[in-house]
Amino acid sequence: MKVKIKSNWTAVASWRWIANDENCGICRMPFDGCCPDCKLPGDDCPLVWGQCSHCFHIHCIVKWLNSQQVHQLCPMCRQEWKFKE
Amino acid sequence: MQFVTCYVFYSFIFCYFFTGEEKSPLCEGCTIDIDDCTCQDIIDTFHSVNRQLDEMGILERLSGAAVTSIVHNQIQRYINTTCKGNFETSYIDHLEKWLDTKVLGWLNSIYAGEKNQCSISAFRGRLLHFLFETYAHARIEQLFAIVIDYPESEPAILDLKTCLEKTNLRALLMTSLRKELEDRLLHPGVNTTDILLAYISAIRSLRVLDPAGVILEIVSEPVRKYLRSREDTVRCIVLCLTEEGSNELLDELIKGQPLILEDDTCSDQEEGDWETWMPDPVDADPSSTSKSRRGSDIISMLVNIYGSKELFVNEYRTLLTDRILSQFNCDMERELRYLEMLKLRFGESQLHYCEVMLKDIADSKRINSRIVQEMDNAGQKMDIDINALILSAQFWPSFREEKITLPTEMQKSLEEYTKKFEALKGNRTLNWKPHLGMMKIEVEHKGTMLNFSVSPVHAAIIMKFQTQSRWDVEELSGVLQMSVSALRRKITYWQSQGLLKEEVPDTFVLVDEVKGQGHEVVMAEDESESAMTSAYQQREEELQVFWTYIVAMLTNLESLPLDRIHTMLRMFAVQGPSSSGEVSQQELKGFLDRQIKDQKLVYVSGVYRLPK
Repeated sequence: MKVKIKSNWTAVASWRWIANDENCGICRMPFDGCCPDCKLPGDDCPLVWGQCSHCFHIHCIVKWLNSQQVHQLCPMCRQEWKFKE
Repeated sequence: MQFVTCYVFYSFIFCYFFTGEEKSPLCEGCTIDIDDCTCQDIIDTFHSVNRQLDEMGILERLSGAAVTSIVHNQIQRYINTTCKGNFETSYIDHLEKWLDTKVLGWLNSIYAGEKNQCSISAFRGRLLHFLFETYAHARIEQLFAIVIDYPESEPAILDLKTCLEKTNLRALLMTSLRKELEDRLLHPGVNTTDILLAYISAIRSLRVLDPAGVILEIVSEPVRKYLRSREDTVRCIVLCLTEEGSNELLDELIKGQPLILEDDTCSDQEEGDWETWMPDPVDADPSSTSKSRRGSDIISMLVNIYGSKELFVNEYRTLLTDRILSQFNCDMERELRYLEMLKLRFGESQLHYCEVMLKDIADSKRINSRIVQEMDNAGQKMDIDINALILSAQFWPSFREEKITLPTEMQKSLEEYTKKFEALKGNRTLNWKPHLGMMKIEVEHKGTMLNFSVSPVHAAIIMKFQTQSRWDVEELSGVLQMSVSALRRKITYWQSQGLLKEEVPDTFVLVDEVKGQGHEVVMAEDESESAMTSAYQQREEELQVFWTYIVAMLTNLESLPLDRIHTMLRMFAVQGPSSSGEVSQQELKGFLDRQIKDQKLVYVSGVYRLPK
């Protein structure tokens, strides 16, 4: 007997961010969901990594950085926040 | 004695009066051959008797009771013969005319004297009332059928409305219809869909009958209560709402008013013209506002059976998932249109998840074509073309997890696709769900070609039989790394297709020759099990969250009775964002009992404690 797979395999998958945590440290929402201000996950509410290796929803960290007057620190480790290239 | 004689005498004349016009060999009046009919003589005698009685002044006293009862009988008989079973014509005008010409004509001929005229016109009023009452009784008796037939039976409903205004039968109508609904609908033999359809008809027809909605509220109360106890009610309603083709609910949905829920507070200010304002009927429930009764439409009424939008939206989401994942042929435009309409009803925020789901499908299509295009440009080709559905897991109902190791060639294709995806969307990867999805395979066996559309798991199983035609279940489940029970479930499909057979218990063998070579394409039947975890399992997972709290409680306080645990949980644990929300004491008890069974908990003299 021989089984041949014909074209058009409808496969099902779920996507996820490759991150070292499940939830955003700022809004406490899952990374795979979206920040409280967003409606759509994924492209519309991406993650960013800092050089300290912590990551957040981009909207969350930007909001945080804007609220800081003097030094821009990572909210998790208090090191200076720099976006990872 | 006097009454009986009078009765016979007058009713004979009445019969004559009414049947005189008909042609038949025998005279209907005197039942003598028509040629030597004596009717005219009888009539003459009749009139002269009446006249003489009248002159003596005892006509009224002598004949009154008999005449009245004859007329009543005749009205009843007339209504029963003309109106019964026909709901599509209005009879009120017709009946009134009949009363004026026939019945009053007869009365006039009896009481021909001048001075009787005014008493006849007073009598007419009473007869008219009797007519309405009898007619209303006849209609109420058949009200269930009228309600079910609703759009066609509107004339009957309008007639009944007129009658109700003139008679005092409202209470009777309500009790009889309520009983009828209970007897005919509310038993296990009736499909939920049928009950729903009847309920919808009732809403629409009773609203015509009583715009204030009080009759509806009272009559349909047992129906609502019963529907609440049926498990598939929500599913049926949602199915009705989204079913293809025109139906009443869909029309309602398209009208698109925002949903009115019972708990919505609305101001007391009545809109509309004060001159046409009517107070609520006396039997109205004073605790609910008149506006909520008058204003709510059918969909609101249906949703109000449960009183929560969430339940409906969740059910819609489950059905949508089923449609997308088990049929793969959902019509996106149609789904989007429904979603928009539902959003008008249920509000944007409730349907946000469904919106993301549909967007996932659209995005998947885009990503697929991007990846295919890229491969084409690079001159590459995947072994198996993959058409992926990439879901945002947070927004879909949780799926059953099934583990399986796919054959290497399939796995390779998936990995290749994953790489492309990772390149396309930085920092993101895919988790494949091999038990979901669909693929077309071609099985060539001893010269016969068979085509199947099956899930990847099914394909993986049959592919194992390429190299080895005899497998032990245990062995096969080891190779595929899936559970024996799941494997057995899947194998039944191939057994039913006649490719595999269970020769010895637990050993499956490829058949020598495939019977039934005629069929070419065989679709895998829609699996009865849904792709999602059952509600029960989900609930169980939610309850697991509480377990940590309970353990902590019992470590600190040593032992606690059920109600203390319950109140403490409500205080500390129930405020989380997850929907686990309320847990009833009953449910908690069930959960704790299961923990006792697993020996994680001990129950001694009314208190729970942790085992030492």
